[in-house]
Amino acid sequence: MDDRWAPSRRQLLQTMAAAGVVAAADLAWWEEPLVRPGRAWGAQPVRFQFSVPEPKRTALVESLAQRFNQAQKDFEVKVEFVPQAQARQKLVTSIAANNPPDCCQVWDNWVGEFEGMGAVEDLTPRVRDWKHGKDVTPIAWQTVTVKGKILSFPWVVTNDGVYWRTDRAREYGITPPREDWTWDEFRAAARAFTKLDKNQYGFGMRGQGTWAILYATEFMYANGAQVLKDGKVAVNSKEAVEGLEWYLDLFRKDKVCPPSVPTDGWRGIVEGFGRGVTNMYIHNSGSSEEQKDFVGAQNFATLPLPIGPAKKRTSFYFSETLTAFRNGKNREGAWRFMAWLMDDEPNFMYCKTLGLLPARKTLADRPEFAKDPAYAGFIRSFPFSIVSPYLAHAGWGGKLDSEGVPLFQQALVGKLTAREFLDKFADVLAKNMT
Amino acid sequence: MAPSDATVAVALPRSFSSRRARELMTGYLYLVPVAIALGGTIVVPILKAMHMSLFNYVLIKPQEYGFVGLGNYTRLLRDETFWLTLWNSFVWVFGSVSLQFLGGFAAALLLHQSFRGRAFVRTVTLLPWIVPGVVVALVWEWLYQPNYGVINDVLLRAGVLRDRVAWLSDPGLAMPAVIATNVWRGVPFFAIMLLAGLQAIPEDLYEAARVDGAPVTRRFWHITLPLLRPIIIVATATRVIWTFNYADLIFVMTGGGPANATQITSTYTLLMAYANLDFGYAATLSVVLLVIMLVFTVLYLRVTRGIESVT
Amino acid sequence: MSRGRGDTAERVLRGPVLWTGITLLTLFALGPFLWVFLTSLKTRADLYATPLRYLPVELTAANYADAWTSKLTPFSRFFANSLWVSSVTMVATTGVSILAGYALARFRFAGRNALLLVFLATQMFPAVLLIAPLLSQWYALGLIDTYQALIYSNLSFTVPFTVWMLVGYFDAIPRDLEESALIDGCGRFGALCRIVLPLAAPGIAATAIFAFVTSWSELLFAITFTTQTEMRTLSAGLLFMVGQYEIQWGQLSAGVMISTVPVAVLFTYLQRHLIRGLSAGALKG
Repeated sequence: MDDRWAPSRRQLLQTMAAAGVVAAADLAWWEEPLVRPGRAWGAQPVRFQFSVPEPKRTALVESLAQRFNQAQKDFEVKVEFVPQAQARQKLVTSIAANNPPDCCQVWDNWVGEFEGMGAVEDLTPRVRDWKHGKDVTPIAWQTVTVKGKILSFPWVVTNDGVYWRTDRAREYGITPPREDWTWDEFRAAARAFTKLDKNQYGFGMRGQGTWAILYATEFMYANGAQVLKDGKVAVNSKEAVEGLEWYLDLFRKDKVCPPSVPTDGWRGIVEGFGRGVTNMYIHNSGSSEEQKDFVGAQNFATLPLPIGPAKKRTSFYFSETLTAFRNGKNREGAWRFMAWLMDDEPNFMYCKTLGLLPARKTLADRPEFAKDPAYAGFIRSFPFSIVSPYLAHAGWGGKLDSEGVPLFQQALVGKLTAREFLDKFADVLAKNMT
Repeated sequence: MAPSDATVAVALPRSFSSRRARELMTGYLYLVPVAIALGGTIVVPILKAMHMSLFNYVLIKPQEYGFVGLGNYTRLLRDETFWLTLWNSFVWVFGSVSLQFLGGFAAALLLHQSFRGRAFVRTVTLLPWIVPGVVVALVWEWLYQPNYGVINDVLLRAGVLRDRVAWLSDPGLAMPAVIATNVWRGVPFFAIMLLAGLQAIPEDLYEAARVDGAPVTRRFWHITLPLLRPIIIVATATRVIWTFNYADLIFVMTGGGPANATQITSTYTLLMAYANLDFGYAATLSVVLLVIMLVFTVLYLRVTRGIESVT
Repeated sequence: MSRGRGDTAERVLRGPVLWTGITLLTLFALGPFLWVFLTSLKTRADLYATPLRYLPVELTAANYADAWTSKLTPFSRFFANSLWVSSVTMVATTGVSILAGYALARFRFAGRNALLLVFLATQMFPAVLLIAPLLSQWYALGLIDTYQALIYSNLSFTVPFTVWMLVGYFDAIPRDLEESALIDGCGRFGALCRIVLPLAAPGIAATAIFAFVTSWSELLFAITFTTQTEMRTLSAGLLFMVGQYEIQWGQLSAGVMISTVPVAVLFTYLQRHLIRGLSAGALKG
């Protein structure tokens, strides 16, 4: 045995015993663990869950909450940051355990699920008297209305467009597309943009997260497909299969997408473009400010989605919502905080800092949005944008992510054909119509 | 043991027997804390999991909560993904453990030699095993990163690859990639177990063989391997069980994707609980995992009993 | 078979083969850490340079400072949480398993063998089995976002192993010493504290450190039973960083180093005892 131990054994035991006493004492008075920030004030604080903790957003939301806390003395707002990947699970488990935050920022396609659990505070009566109620575009209200009830504030509302590297296009002699470009032109550009020797790819397709399916669906719509027809799931129609086939082939056959597509989520596509690996990607306006830092404002532009064989195109609106919960501890406080966030200055600051489009008309008309070329692709898409068809049934939001995406990935990697995928996907949708 | 205790207790005078009773009381008393600790964190949860597995218990559908008997189990039998994950688990366990064993054995043989700096090398070799699993996963995610990862860069420079490979995004490569990571992590475990075994082999056995003129290969086959057999079996069995249950690495690196290519049964269970929030079905899966493990444990005990009776 | 040939083979094996093997082994084990360590010292420009830059052009400690003080992923806070959770788990585990180990090693009561088997079997339970039931249990008890939930849950995987190991250690201590103490009027507890514990101190230290290290590494419980940033442990905090918009690889690497160093140091210390305990415990199964 090791001799070095011998002299210190008693000391060792004494230390261990002392540590045991400390632990026992702590077990007895556990309510206040050793290190803990200062207590909240007398009134019940408002817990606000924010689900996109990246540095810019965190700093922004913290400073907004701070401003609000300084502006009134009745209660304190505490922001809880949860990674997007865990946000839905955290909310659902806390709802099930009857301990939800007072309010949260999520996406419209999750709200239906929470409503299904009977957890969401119905804002309809309050919104009727709210001073900016008429200023919010009807389509934005539509994204947060489930079965006639307004369940959230649309904090921002945005649609999808194509990001495009203008400097690289010049370098490779690619003519910048017109606004009403077609699928063929889109594919040709993606091909011309693909330079394997430079580790560059034409199109950063998304393979992970709900929007992987939403972007694919936009292409299906451009081929004349619909998710629902006469109240029945029609997502596996012939048009849908053909449209999806064409879209998937960009990755599978045309090889204009990076090999990491099946695992690329939001971060993957934005970073891929930002770091110069991809030269086009589809996203909402929310990454435009980011890309100004990454690639420079002068080096990229945004365009509407291309027109499909059906001479159509569609872009889906979605909103980032402010949603309150029925079992929150301070419902009045939650309402006041959310309404404050929708006020002119806070709302403008939030949208402008992050590059998202405000749901309120007076704000969206300001030159910072209306005149900036980085938003052109989105604003010009408004005429043909619709509310996401997957909002039609409350049960779909979560299923898209948990069941739809794994199936979609199988289609991406060639384990399922476009038809097989859509048949299975249609089954999932049909089973969860509520 | 129990019967002899009883006879002793009867045969002894009363004062002794009451002392024995007191002793036994003390013994049970000492077990109270462990009973509370494990009762609350293992026994009750397992019973609860079994109970949950009989219910339709999906968090997002509280109104559909209800008793379904063995409904979740029949669903499991028809669940193609479940069977796929069992197969993936097999590949994962077999690939990981066999390569870990080979690597670990080689490392143990090396570390058993005397050379300068042995203590340092031994410690360094153990590092991959002791760092947190999430650290291993993240470190390797960074190594595998298609554009800034060092693996692609080295292979491109060496001319092995012509294009960058997205190791964790290609369904054909993702499983080998996570297995490689797990091998890196598990080699030290085998190395130290087998090293301990090697150190227990008396040196005179080798001496005698050397005197008899047995070359090094023969000494290996006839002395080293047979004497290590018990520890090999024990280490392999523990590792098989551990690897089968282990979810962290895959959970962090691929989440079971792409397209379920790396989905093993334990990560599938996690997915059901975290993403689908289907606690009833997750509980069913975990009960099945438990049964598989118990069967394996019984087999393992049989085998080790056999070893004990031989040695 | 001639002796000479065997010796040549042996000489090759002990010479070049040995040294190549050792170099490879060291590289294999250390390489990824070296890479992460280098990454943690790189500036953003170096990190994303094409072609890849192996050595940082400009050394910076900013990643460590940022990770340590970051508001979003405060590694100082994570570190304190991990330290606290692992320490209390260690002490609780040790206390519980000393008593249990001693009882199982010394008292011959009915069901002892069955109990030993239970301890062995529980080591093989999948952690995923416990997650859903423990989650609802901690919710019911209002323990979500508390240290207790993590500490209690950690006992589920530390205690079975440490009990098993300590039974082995206590078994190896001769009974005579205690018997005489008992006759001298020491109670059982007195004998345990004065005679057995000092003798078993190395073994106890090894199991204690084992409990510490495994709790330090624990991930699934930590992400499931905490929701607030300020309650996260290092493992959970690292995963939290990845859940973000853009992975800050520099900061993440710094975080990795911060989480690795303490266990590496402890383990170096523990190594020889644990090896002995592992093989002893394993062979008894």
